[in-house]
Amino acid sequence: MYDTIGIWVGAFFTLAIYSFLYKENPVYRLAEHLVVGISLGYTMVLICNTVILPKLLVPLFAGNHWILIIPGLLGLLYITRFIPSIAWLSRYPIAFIMGTGMGIGFPLTMKAYVLRQLEAAMIPLYASGMPWYEVFGNIVMIFGTLAALIYFFFSKPHKGLFFGTGSKVGIWVIMLGFGATFGFTVMGRISLLIGRIQYLLGDWLHVIE
Amino acid sequence: MSAVNIWEKMLNVDRRWIFLGIGIVSIVPFLIGFGMPITTTTEVEGIFNYMNELGPDDAIFIGFDFAPGTQAENMPMAVAVMRHAFHNHTSVFMTAYVPLGKGMAVSALDYVTNPKTDGYYERVLFEDWADYREAGITKKDELTAAWESDGNVLSEGAVGWVFEGRDYVLLGYLPLFHLVILGMTGSIETQFPVDYHGNSIGEMPILMEHKSLRDVDLAVTTSGSSACVAWITYAREKIGLPIAFGVTGVMATDYFPYIQSGQIVGQMGGLRGAAEYEVLLKENGITETTDKAFTGMDVQSASHIFIILLIVMGNIAFFAGGFHKQTRLKGRR
Repeated sequence: MYDTIGIWVGAFFTLAIYSFLYKENPVYRLAEHLVVGISLGYTMVLICNTVILPKLLVPLFAGNHWILIIPGLLGLLYITRFIPSIAWLSRYPIAFIMGTGMGIGFPLTMKAYVLRQLEAAMIPLYASGMPWYEVFGNIVMIFGTLAALIYFFFSKPHKGLFFGTGSKVGIWVIMLGFGATFGFTVMGRISLLIGRIQYLLGDWLHVIE
Repeated sequence: MSAVNIWEKMLNVDRRWIFLGIGIVSIVPFLIGFGMPITTTTEVEGIFNYMNELGPDDAIFIGFDFAPGTQAENMPMAVAVMRHAFHNHTSVFMTAYVPLGKGMAVSALDYVTNPKTDGYYERVLFEDWADYREAGITKKDELTAAWESDGNVLSEGAVGWVFEGRDYVLLGYLPLFHLVILGMTGSIETQFPVDYHGNSIGEMPILMEHKSLRDVDLAVTTSGSSACVAWITYAREKIGLPIAFGVTGVMATDYFPYIQSGQIVGQMGGLRGAAEYEVLLKENGITETTDKAFTGMDVQSASHIFIILLIVMGNIAFFAGGFHKQTRLKGRR
């Protein structure tokens, strides 16, 4: 019974959202506001049940974790943003989060985003026994990377064989990347539509399995 | 009506006609079913082959790092990987990087264990097999044998048992999840003392055998945001945990460099990636049928053909109408 009601509610709001494709209307706005409101409400309750209660209030009131008063107070300082005269206090938890985030994340992020990618780009163009298509792929990858980097090098005018031709090739490489991203984006958007159609035709109307 | 007007009309067609066209070509293939073949790519095969090597002594993480907005793309990936793990008796930890991901994990598990689903797994809740744990029966094969010898019979259509706390555990969501990943490299239990249902995970065989991410063999993050990269940064780079991505189509091109650098074992990109995994599951006899992602690929192909036709027609109208010679078109375009 509850499942059936849930499916009908889901179908109604799916159609409400898609009604925007014809033109904006009150039913669409109702659905849009409900999505935002319910998501926020759900998240707040979830965080209360998974963090504030079990990790702060319960151990605190059990009387054996007084150290938790410090992060608790630090978290409460966020709320001072609503009081203009003491809003500056909210900078302390933000600074704490930023500082710890940077401290913990910086070395690993540098390794994951920069060093590993650099390492992956430092490959031989050719090695004995390497098939021709792999050699071709390595050449495209290395010269493509260099060309794209040249395009973003603005300290020299993009003229001449190295900077001029390099930046032009770089544009092509970047455009190819954008094209691939656009193709995947179209696929992604259609996939979302497919998901909704499967829901409407399958779960709701039972036209398809 | 002059010829130029026809071209201009083509360029100014009301977009609602295009939406209607997309709607029609998206519905018809579901009703007719072309059954277009799908070839698999090395990126998806990389994940499949890695998963296929894992057995009952191994464990994986499935990160439900997405919200309902990208459920259509990410959910089939998570479901396919979960089926593969259950088939190989590989233990599964389920987490969520985003608050709504917890609900997604519950939905995926419900789907895989729902009797209405083809080839479903019959779920045994943690409290239901407490007597067996107390008797020290925690190994998968021994547990299944003992469970069935006590008169429990698989329902019709079910392909196996999955025991909560032995074959899977739903850990759920915690805020600042990148720090949670970092914490789990030392101990999973310190980050998640209890599971989604409030069961103490310290009592679960799955945790006794896999105490931290260092004892885990693979993390598959199904993600609709850059959350997936946190697994690389905080698990791959810190302890060398193998990572696999299941990302939305929009994000897929951003993460191909991570395959080339060897930071991930493979990637499922969008619905297509999920469909490929379903095909691999079927071809290798792990499932008897493909699932929702594969069904959706007919629609995907039909929609793409329709969009390509529109692009071609738009370009024909643009050039045939001589608009490429104009610096400014009507309608402020």
